[in-house]
Amino acid sequence: MTRISAMALALVLGAAAGQSAQADGEKIAVLTKNQTNPFFQAERVGAAKAAASMHATVLQYVPTQADSIAEQLSEIDDVITKKADAVVIAPVDYKAIVPGIQKINAAKIPVVNVTDRSSGGDFVSFVGADDHTIAKKTAEALLKAIGGKGEVIVLEGVRGTATAQDRLRGFKDALAEFPNVKLVASQPANYQRLQAMQVMENLLQANPNVAGVLAANDTMAIGAMDALSEAGSKALITGINGSKEAVDAIKAGKMLASGDYNGFVQGCIGAMIALRHLRHEETPKQVTQPTVVITKDNLAPYDVPLDQRQCPSWDEVPKS
Amino acid sequence: MTALALPKGMRAPGLLAVIAIMVVGFAAASRDFATPGNVLNIVMQSSTLLLVALPMTFVILTEGLDLSVGAVVSLCSVALAEVALATGSLAMTFAAGMLVGALAGMLNGALIAYLRIPPFVATLGTLGAAQSLALILTGGQSVTGLPSNLLFIYGGSILGVPAPILIIVAAYAIMHVLLYLTPFGSYVFALGGNREALTLAGISWRRMLMAVYVLGGAWVGVAALVLASRLSAGHPTAAIGMEFDAIAAVALGGTSFERGDGWLFGTLLGVAAIGILRNGLNLMAVPSSVQVCCVGILVILAFALEALRARDS
Amino acid sequence: MIRVPGIGRVPPEATRVAMRLAAVLILGIVLTALSSVFLRAANLMNVLRQAALLFFMSSGLTLVVLTAGLDLSIGATVALAACVAGTIVKGSDSVWLGAATALGIGAGVGLLNGMMVSLLRIPSFIATYGMLWVLQGLAYTYMAGTTVYGFPSALRRLGNGYLLGVPIPVIVMTGLLAVGTGFAQRTVWGQQIAMIGANPVAARLSGVPIKRRLILVYVLSGLAAGFAALVYLARLNSAEADIGSSLTLPAIAAVLIGGASLFGGVGTLAGTFIGALILTLVLNGMNLLHVDGNWQPLVTGVIIVAAVWLDLRGQATGR
Repeated sequence: MTRISAMALALVLGAAAGQSAQADGEKIAVLTKNQTNPFFQAERVGAAKAAASMHATVLQYVPTQADSIAEQLSEIDDVITKKADAVVIAPVDYKAIVPGIQKINAAKIPVVNVTDRSSGGDFVSFVGADDHTIAKKTAEALLKAIGGKGEVIVLEGVRGTATAQDRLRGFKDALAEFPNVKLVASQPANYQRLQAMQVMENLLQANPNVAGVLAANDTMAIGAMDALSEAGSKALITGINGSKEAVDAIKAGKMLASGDYNGFVQGCIGAMIALRHLRHEETPKQVTQPTVVITKDNLAPYDVPLDQRQCPSWDEVPKS
Repeated sequence: MTALALPKGMRAPGLLAVIAIMVVGFAAASRDFATPGNVLNIVMQSSTLLLVALPMTFVILTEGLDLSVGAVVSLCSVALAEVALATGSLAMTFAAGMLVGALAGMLNGALIAYLRIPPFVATLGTLGAAQSLALILTGGQSVTGLPSNLLFIYGGSILGVPAPILIIVAAYAIMHVLLYLTPFGSYVFALGGNREALTLAGISWRRMLMAVYVLGGAWVGVAALVLASRLSAGHPTAAIGMEFDAIAAVALGGTSFERGDGWLFGTLLGVAAIGILRNGLNLMAVPSSVQVCCVGILVILAFALEALRARDS
Repeated sequence: MIRVPGIGRVPPEATRVAMRLAAVLILGIVLTALSSVFLRAANLMNVLRQAALLFFMSSGLTLVVLTAGLDLSIGATVALAACVAGTIVKGSDSVWLGAATALGIGAGVGLLNGMMVSLLRIPSFIATYGMLWVLQGLAYTYMAGTTVYGFPSALRRLGNGYLLGVPIPVIVMTGLLAVGTGFAQRTVWGQQIAMIGANPVAARLSGVPIKRRLILVYVLSGLAAGFAALVYLARLNSAEADIGSSLTLPAIAAVLIGGASLFGGVGTLAGTFIGALILTLVLNGMNLLHVDGNWQPLVTGVIIVAAVWLDLRGQATGR
């Protein structure tokens, strides 16, 4: 355990001990988008850890059909019926969630918005960064690394999801800054590894000299990575999410970088803010996490398995 | 005209047993379950699915399947949202939704009845077309800023009864009358069990089959209206996967995939079972991965109980 | 030419095969015209290898469809089998143990499906749909949001290796095609399976042990899914819980494009192979031609419908 984490742990425990006079055992409902994206798994673990260290519990709600907007709205109904003390929510669709948030507001349950900023409703706080910025920064890292020239391929996520749209926009904005780079193909691989591999194999036929691949998530990046190495391509690849597998690949030099806004920490902070609010302590209106582009040089904190990570202490949380 | 395949009293007792077990179990496990507010929630949450499952019953009665429903609901939600933004008129919005749905139904009907493409494949094709159209129209974004008269469809109430409940009651009544009290209903049964009977009676079975799919499409438009109101947005991919829930609900309710044998009320029970299951599991805060298992167990158990009962009798 | 009791003469196979090949040829010609790289050996090998994975899943499914059934659980079977087998390979370093696990899970799932359909008389759509959810839930629970990755090269050869310049999955696919076709068309069991779908009454009257054959086809479908899971592990060097969700519909579509009927009795492995090939060609073409993501569902849908329509024309002219 690093010194900072030890301090953080001590601080959190100390803070928690100081709270014991308050009502403990609060139940926080944490709503995430799906079971498959490691980002949300990290968020769930982070929230659970933070709540446990503050003597509260977390109820996890995930749609049985991944990214189902209707199911998430039903979960909100059920969470209100169950009278959760507070809600931390990563909305599947930041526009369509608004009626759900309004219901939570009407039921007078405090709600914290994490990951994707909802376009309406009253929140105690928003914790996150945004897909557009992460994608843009990650893309800039790749485009710089290929020397600002050459052919680039984009692997997109699922059309129709907000994250895929925003990440694609971020990639394109970064590409606009490097006029000598040519975008030769932009094809969807639906965030899936097998599809990414097959799409990459197909695209390599026409573009064997591609210099860089921008993948909208780590799973696709790794699928593409296998296709590229089999074809003997020297192209650089970036993903988004900072998953364990991606970190291993970056360590091994097979992947250049992965953009992350640290789901684990988002979960921690989201739960911490919800509990602080319930305990009448002050909370910031917004916590914008710094976008981190994980590369060989800074991957140490991401190399830790989820269950061994520690939440940041309250003082370490960047409040804006 | 050959005899109608009338429902024989109580069908799908396996499903009823499972529903009873769930209700008793959930009420015991969670004190919030058996409250009027929660029951209302279950009904409201199931409204879109019921509006899609009722016409799906008709389709399955004709030995068909409609896999395009999810994509068409999404497309209709987008279309009607755009019309609502442009005109602000609820009537025009309603018409737009039903029209787009009916057109999709017409495509299905043309492929299935006239080109003789098997329903599984034909509706897969319509799914692709609807999905693409919705994505192209919206660029992948949801359509928001809907006028309040549209939001009333899900959120409002008349004389204290929430609007969606009025809609589904009306829908059920209309479909019940159509299926059991009109000649069209007997044609639907015949399309599944006995197409020759229609031809012998001088009725074009192709036109009737087309009508079934067009009718289904129109109802899909109504479902889209309720969904868009619930989301306060039209969304190009919001309803993906709904078709399988609908098909499961119809099958749970005792409608067979062959021979034009079915029970409309059973579909209602099937939808209710699915809604109760999800709601109850959420109230118990059962982890999502276990919830996924439970859906499968519900389906298998309902049929297994029925099968075991049939063997013993 | 097969004589199926109760149906009579199936239309001359030659006409149907010709129509299916026509679909492939048309696609091939269009793609060659529009893309300069399509006809390259490397691209065609890739296409065949991609089609192989799809074919492995669809091969067992073809037999199920022959009996007028459907197996919706194959995708989830692949996912669960891959996750568990992958974890075991990682933990024990034994590829054989992993292979046995994957095939064992596939066969076990198939056995359960078969028993539900034949003994409990649950419609196959429902039984396998329920099984799909159960398996998917088990996979989610087992993996808890993690990915298992990094397998020994002995396993990876199955997916990435070449033999005489041909990818190993393609060689296995050819072998499976030969063996499977021989089974379906030359053995008594194979013909009995087709009869169950085409004419269940005749099958029963002629003494076909229907229940046992039904269980057999579902076990075979499960085994095929288990094998596909191994190929997936070998090719992708990883497994996670949701890999199956996008595999099921294409597998079914491949079988249907190949000329099988959901009413049973009609269908061949060769047809399924062509169906898998067509679907893979569509994706290959869309990537090579840079078809925008928004249009891809439409293109896929149109080609699927067109291919089936062509196949039906071949059926009609044969009658």
